[in-house]
Amino acid sequence: MDKLAKTQLSLLAAYSSPFVLLSAILLNITMFSQGITTGPSRLIFLSAAFPIGFAVGRSIYRHRSHVEIMLDENGFQVKKGSRQTVEGTWSRYMLVSIIVDQFSRANIRLYASADDDYVDLPVFGSGTDPQKLRDHIAGLISKRGMKAPILQPVEAS
Amino acid sequence: MIKGSARWVADFNEFFRDYPLGNITFDLFARGRTRNRGLFLSRFFAWTALPDYSVSLFCVDATESGRLSVERLRRIIEVALQTVRSKELKWAWLIAISGQELSPQVVSFVSRYDRYELGLAAASTLTRELVVSNTHIGRSIKKQLKLGKLLRAFDHGQAS
Repeated sequence: MDKLAKTQLSLLAAYSSPFVLLSAILLNITMFSQGITTGPSRLIFLSAAFPIGFAVGRSIYRHRSHVEIMLDENGFQVKKGSRQTVEGTWSRYMLVSIIVDQFSRANIRLYASADDDYVDLPVFGSGTDPQKLRDHIAGLISKRGMKAPILQPVEAS
Repeated sequence: MIKGSARWVADFNEFFRDYPLGNITFDLFARGRTRNRGLFLSRFFAWTALPDYSVSLFCVDATESGRLSVERLRRIIEVALQTVRSKELKWAWLIAISGQELSPQVVSFVSRYDRYELGLAAASTLTRELVVSNTHIGRSIKKQLKLGKLLRAFDHGQAS
């Protein structure tokens, strides 16, 4: 099973920066209470705020927002953070498109029917070229999936 | 469209390849709206100043099926127009690309085509010829979509 995943640095920075600031403040207060107010040791202690804050931010990011898409010849699984959001088999789907969301992020949309029965794969967080992935998935659907029906345009009444 | 430096006209947000519709498979089908989404100021501007119409782009590559004929073009137009009506689109662009020279009949048919809701264009990647329908939406394929510029990019091997 292929796994598509990439750390979203902007999100990781957004999660980490408040904890970097918070741990710097806590370290500063601790150093004051221990009587360390000047000298290089103060700088060394303060620099520890970065790895501490980053570690906390990274664990929250991994728990809440890290996207992993796993796909093979038969189907796919999408995990966001610690929960599995979508799972399916190619045989259920017949059409694939690239959908651009309101933040101009490209995702893959899989249609089970011509109506609004679809699922979105959040590929923007996986570091994959959406066009290449769309072509790859279209190939999998044509092999394993439903034969794409001929959608009949219906006259408006 | 990117190579042709198209101007913003509509916000297409969904793109299909090899989209089967009726008895035609469109090599590219895109749908969207004329009101863009944006963030804060651009969204406010769009909400106050831009109409919110559903629009689409149909693109057919007729290279593999030989020379583009008027009869085939009519069938493609019929399917596109049915979709325009059924999806209640305000307008749509339909572009037929041929790898061969455009026949005089096709050139004449396209240039005389006058349905307002469907802008029609036929282009040859061999001769770089581009002909559009004589309507506002049709002319916008040349002016806004800048398809002619894209075709010229084939000369320099930039288009893909």
